[in-house]
Amino acid sequence: MSQEFQHRDLCAISGIGSTDFSRDSGRTPITLATQAALAAIADAGLTPAEIDGVVHSDYDLVLSSHIAHSIGILNINFWGATGLGGAAPCGMIGLAVGAVVAGLAKNVLVFRALNGHSGLRYGRGTAVQRSAGAHFVGGNGSFDEFFLPYGMLAPGQMWAMIARRHMAEFGTTSDDLASIALVARERANANPAAQMTDRKMTRDDYFSSRMISDPLRLFDYCQETDGACAVVVTSVERANDGPQPAAYIRATAQGSGPQSQAGSYFSALMREVLTVQPSAWTAQTLYQRAGLGPSDIDVAQFYDCFTPTVLLQLEDYGFCEKGDGGRFASSGALDLDGSLPINTAGGNLSEGYIHGMNHILEGVRQIRGTSTSQVAGAQTCLVTSGIPITTSAIILRAAS
Amino acid sequence: MSTLNNAPLPFTDDLDTSGFWKAATEGKISIRTCAACETVLHLPKLYCHKCQSWETYWRDVRPTGTLYSWTVTVQQLHPAFPTPYTVVLVELDDAKDARLIGYLEGTPELKMGMAMRASFKDVEPGVTLVQWEPDLNS
Repeated sequence: MSQEFQHRDLCAISGIGSTDFSRDSGRTPITLATQAALAAIADAGLTPAEIDGVVHSDYDLVLSSHIAHSIGILNINFWGATGLGGAAPCGMIGLAVGAVVAGLAKNVLVFRALNGHSGLRYGRGTAVQRSAGAHFVGGNGSFDEFFLPYGMLAPGQMWAMIARRHMAEFGTTSDDLASIALVARERANANPAAQMTDRKMTRDDYFSSRMISDPLRLFDYCQETDGACAVVVTSVERANDGPQPAAYIRATAQGSGPQSQAGSYFSALMREVLTVQPSAWTAQTLYQRAGLGPSDIDVAQFYDCFTPTVLLQLEDYGFCEKGDGGRFASSGALDLDGSLPINTAGGNLSEGYIHGMNHILEGVRQIRGTSTSQVAGAQTCLVTSGIPITTSAIILRAAS
Repeated sequence: MSTLNNAPLPFTDDLDTSGFWKAATEGKISIRTCAACETVLHLPKLYCHKCQSWETYWRDVRPTGTLYSWTVTVQQLHPAFPTPYTVVLVELDDAKDARLIGYLEGTPELKMGMAMRASFKDVEPGVTLVQWEPDLNS
């Protein structure tokens, strides 16, 4: 084993758990987190008393010590948080792996809980909601003063601008974005837990959905979801003693790229090139650490707050050339029988928006062979987290 | 919550960014720039990450640029911004690494890379927004 990347294959995800995904949970985030955590711990064949570390997201209202208390852990020896927001989940796994490898914890609970529809709706812009009608915005390193006063308020507007750049530079079309939305919806239709499980979508439906921020339509946007997801990260030895097939964590990586400016979200519009994202740098690190490349990936769960988010990552993770993401997406490659099936539970677009944490659970199901859209013989799964500020990714693999 | 009916205004007294807003009240665009290597330091910051210099200054640039991208927002996000409206991202002619945002009412005809010209809109005493529109004279 390479001494340089000595976390390779040393840890595994031994348990997964989630709540239902809804638009109005009627429960607080701590209740949602507690339900998902208990489910994940039971799935791992453990009791809460055996959890000694916790990782949460920087966007979560529930902190590590809160969930520890809630599920009855006597004492946690390790906790931490990472972010930013949707960029967190795979980095949270990385943090847990680091803790286990370093001997700081044995069984680490990693969770994300939010009322993304009945509570704070990220899609409407968090800065304006948090300012609660304040007359003046920005300052203190937020740089919001350069964006909000101009009506630049929500993530979808920024992704619309990025998509338009990609269209202008490379000839990408709305038809290509539709291909991504349709794949996610078809996988969600097979997944009874998905918010869109009963909602079929045709290409015509996509094009007749209302424009939100041109060129992005309603079906280019992800769900807004109330719910929680959790996993248990532990050593492969302990995972192999558990009741479930271990999903080995081949490698983890985070990456900022060289132009991760200060400021909240919209600062990413200052990147030298909008069509190359932090995922390009993260992919290099991840593949190097894994000793694997894109051709070794059997199935992928791409973070998908918007359809163009997936398109850019197809390029950045090396599944096609830069600029060819649209044509690749429309080639059929992303279908269940294609060369790279993606987002097999429906993703943020159609399963639910647990801020990318649900992508990790689906990655584990593919490795276990229990997905509702199982890729036959899947041995490896790439899972990515959000862009455009920073990002993170992991590769899961079967014990083989 | 009565102020929600008003558009949010920029906080103009930030230690790192106030120079931009002061210049705007004088009808100018000023971009933080490294005195040693001329690297554009926008969003404004005091230290040059390229050449590790603290010698940085506000450089006045021409109020012209090109359209780098835009979006037409159709679904309302905030009562102060009736839809549809257009948000433009403009690359400055004199500071290519700086992009500024502008607001345009409705759905003006736009083309990628078209010439844009700044205007300066006083929105409150001491607060001026730099806005952008297609430069029909270029």
